[in-house]
Amino acid sequence: MNTVEDIFSVLEEKFGAKRDMQDKWGVAAIVSAAYLHNAALFLKDAAAIKFEMLVDIAGIDYLTYPNHEGPRFAVSYAFKSMSVPGARIRLKVLVGEADLKVPTISDLFANANWYEREVFDQFGIVFTGHPDLRRLLNHVEFVGHPLRKDYPAQKRQWLSTNDYLLPALEKRLEDLGYRVVQRSKEVGTNDNEYLEGSIKE
Amino acid sequence: MTAEADKPNIITASLDFLVNWGRTNSLWPFPYGTACCAIEFMSTEVGRYDLSRIGSEYVRFTPRQSDVLLVAGTITYKQAPILKRIYEQMAEPRWVIAMGACACSGGFYDCYCTVPGIDHIIPVDVYIGGCPSRPEAFFDAMFDLQKKIKDESYMKQRAERVKDQLEMIKAKTAEAKAAAKDFAREKVVDIKDFVASKEQELVKKAQFWKE
Repeated sequence: MNTVEDIFSVLEEKFGAKRDMQDKWGVAAIVSAAYLHNAALFLKDAAAIKFEMLVDIAGIDYLTYPNHEGPRFAVSYAFKSMSVPGARIRLKVLVGEADLKVPTISDLFANANWYEREVFDQFGIVFTGHPDLRRLLNHVEFVGHPLRKDYPAQKRQWLSTNDYLLPALEKRLEDLGYRVVQRSKEVGTNDNEYLEGSIKE
Repeated sequence: MTAEADKPNIITASLDFLVNWGRTNSLWPFPYGTACCAIEFMSTEVGRYDLSRIGSEYVRFTPRQSDVLLVAGTITYKQAPILKRIYEQMAEPRWVIAMGACACSGGFYDCYCTVPGIDHIIPVDVYIGGCPSRPEAFFDAMFDLQKKIKDESYMKQRAERVKDQLEMIKAKTAEAKAAAKDFAREKVVDIKDFVASKEQELVKKAQFWKE
């Protein structure tokens, strides 16, 4: 029970994982979405080699992938061991287009919060149980998910106004127990001003 | 009279010269740096190249105190409204330099997230190529901008700016003149009537006394 191969055999036995034969480095396993949370918990706490570090979460769209069979999307989790050098494992969850749902692991790994937000933003995969699933990279008025293969890459979308972030910040501080003494008000531009800007529609 | 006033004379020409001299030699940049071009700007600003030799002594990090908006780096759609607001917050006179390929045209980011050139958002005075631009190219752009500023006429711009007001004042004056004329004409007619009636009265009185 000391090598990564042993851990793979445990994963196959307990969590119904299947080795990904197409993986170049032979460290990937495919698990179903139902077992993902338990498998991540096992890798973090119970395995012989503990994988304490979540390196990345990546979304994959197989729409234009040659010779691909199976569900359209996949979410790939990369784990790294901090105690044994070079020990790495990747878990892959296949997600069909009909049911774009994957359970979150942000309660196990704190950095999974933003990774999952990014995957949601770029691929539209919904992470159930995520505390704050919003767009991360694209702006709030963006329609669609740009890293999907059927999104036209040159389709540009304008943002009409910049975010007014102070109310959200005040709410967050109040939730943490702070008291907001003075509420700020957004100051808009005055169109009737004499020395108006040189931007004219 | 008006043609005479439009021509540059010794007062306006020297005032233009003075204003342009001041503006040319104190171009304070506001660095809107989002990518590697901002690093090149830092190297332009400090010891080796020393941008303060041509009067851009202070880099101001507030749009209220700066003259040149220096957009150095990639502008995404998420920050386009921020850039536009910063430009609107700058006081006149203001100029914009687009530094590097990304700010000029979007560079090689031909994708869903990058603005293809900041001239889609704000007017640009000088473009600098390069990825990133050399400090020498930045100096060249500053010299170009200085040349452009030297050609500007403060008086003409001012006339342009107050044109609306001037026309409004002219229209108001014409209106007031017309009103005064009408009023005077009415008065004159009234007085004439009054005089005529008095005359008739006098004639009547004279006839009465004659009889």
